[in-house]
Amino acid sequence: MEEVLRIEDLHKSFADLAVLKGIDLAVNRGETIVILGASGSGKSTLLRCVNFMEIPSSGRIVMNGRAVGRAVDGKQTYSEKELTRLRARVGMVFQHFNLFPHMTARENVMEGPRTVLKLDPAECARRADTYLDKVGLAWKADAHPSELSGGQQQRIAIARALAMEPEVMLFDEATSALDPELVGEVLGTMKELADEGMTMLIVTHELGFAYTVADRVLFLSEGRILEQGTPAEVLTYPTQEGTKNFLRGHGSFRLPEPQLD
Amino acid sequence: MEHVWDFSALLNNKQLLLIGLRNTLILAAVCLGLGLFFGMLVGAARYSKKPLLYWPSTVFVEVFRNTPVLVQIMWFFFAFPIISPFDIDAFSAATLGLTLNTTAFSSEIYRAGIRSIERGQWEAGKALGMSYGEQLRRVILPQAVQRMLPAFMNRAVELLKMTSLASVIAYPELMYQAKIISTIEFNPIEMYTSVALMFFAIVFPLALLVQRFELKHKAR
Repeated sequence: MEEVLRIEDLHKSFADLAVLKGIDLAVNRGETIVILGASGSGKSTLLRCVNFMEIPSSGRIVMNGRAVGRAVDGKQTYSEKELTRLRARVGMVFQHFNLFPHMTARENVMEGPRTVLKLDPAECARRADTYLDKVGLAWKADAHPSELSGGQQQRIAIARALAMEPEVMLFDEATSALDPELVGEVLGTMKELADEGMTMLIVTHELGFAYTVADRVLFLSEGRILEQGTPAEVLTYPTQEGTKNFLRGHGSFRLPEPQLD
Repeated sequence: MEHVWDFSALLNNKQLLLIGLRNTLILAAVCLGLGLFFGMLVGAARYSKKPLLYWPSTVFVEVFRNTPVLVQIMWFFFAFPIISPFDIDAFSAATLGLTLNTTAFSSEIYRAGIRSIERGQWEAGKALGMSYGEQLRRVILPQAVQRMLPAFMNRAVELLKMTSLASVIAYPELMYQAKIISTIEFNPIEMYTSVALMFFAIVFPLALLVQRFELKHKAR
């Protein structure tokens, strides 16, 4: 198996608050990893350190076998230019979509290839068509974000990230801001990507999705990986008390299987 | 005493008034252009974390926002030449005063406009791999400028009216020309009434435009 991304002894503090306290993780190409944990456990920060939206306090991020940054006196230092290039290879989908409201859906998707990759107009157009089609919204190409539902906006945001043809996709609570009836379409798009072999790191509260789609589930607690394994190992037979408590909380109000036929 | 309105002297001096009108418009246009340009730079400097950029720009803005424009113009015409190595004419002094004033106010408009864009927009650009400049140019400014437009147009309205202050240093704009004509022709009532109407005719449509913009913006 080919390793795409490796996180080594990652620490991140904000002022005096230590959020990540030593994360080690190796991600293989095509792997779908779901990161679970209570709020404040550091899952979003972990994701944001991978593409350097936050600069790690210590530790290393290794992409395709090459460490990001240079070690100076035992500490990684980063040039803005290197980080900008790295971010172009890592896609990110946000909780609040963050589409560019002054652009149409199509322009949103083309923006990265055009401004960042500086591809020629024909290739930008091809990518826009390809990825709008992939998220099933080619018919909304000329709509502005304000004319789209939350679910559609998030799918456009996914297409915008995909148009960069990234090596890794990060999903930071991509469905948390959606009305319940719109969550399914976004999770469906994400599952398709996983099935096609995209390498994905997903922070979510959708346990059912984690169970069905993840190759590996991590459970974060207080800035450390408390438990990891296959969905069945972590979600069905958790061994750590923290994981069990988390699952208890999530399972307090459960439906019996709804009969929908 | 009954005043008999007589505008004939005004028509006789039409040429002088037109020169005044032209100079008023030139002064306003030059100061607006320069003020918006430098305002952008000062606004950016006030965003900077570098003390060498932040502090001078902040002092500049506060000084020019909190002193009367009339004092600024007089200072540049009467005081500045004493300490500067070169002579300064009325147009330059008026331009300096009005431009720096407009710079100070518009830098705040830029700052507030940019600040009004949600952090997520910066983040989305950054996550795509955009540089800071690309985020600003492609994502932030196109949205912010739309929000800034009414405020900039308000500045233009204010600036047009402020140009009349240049009359105190004998720059031949509309107000100064009116003063000259009225002392020659002894017709201050007709002269100043006409000047007021001329200003109103230029400024009012602009003000209406601002109002329409603001309404449109609110409707969104």
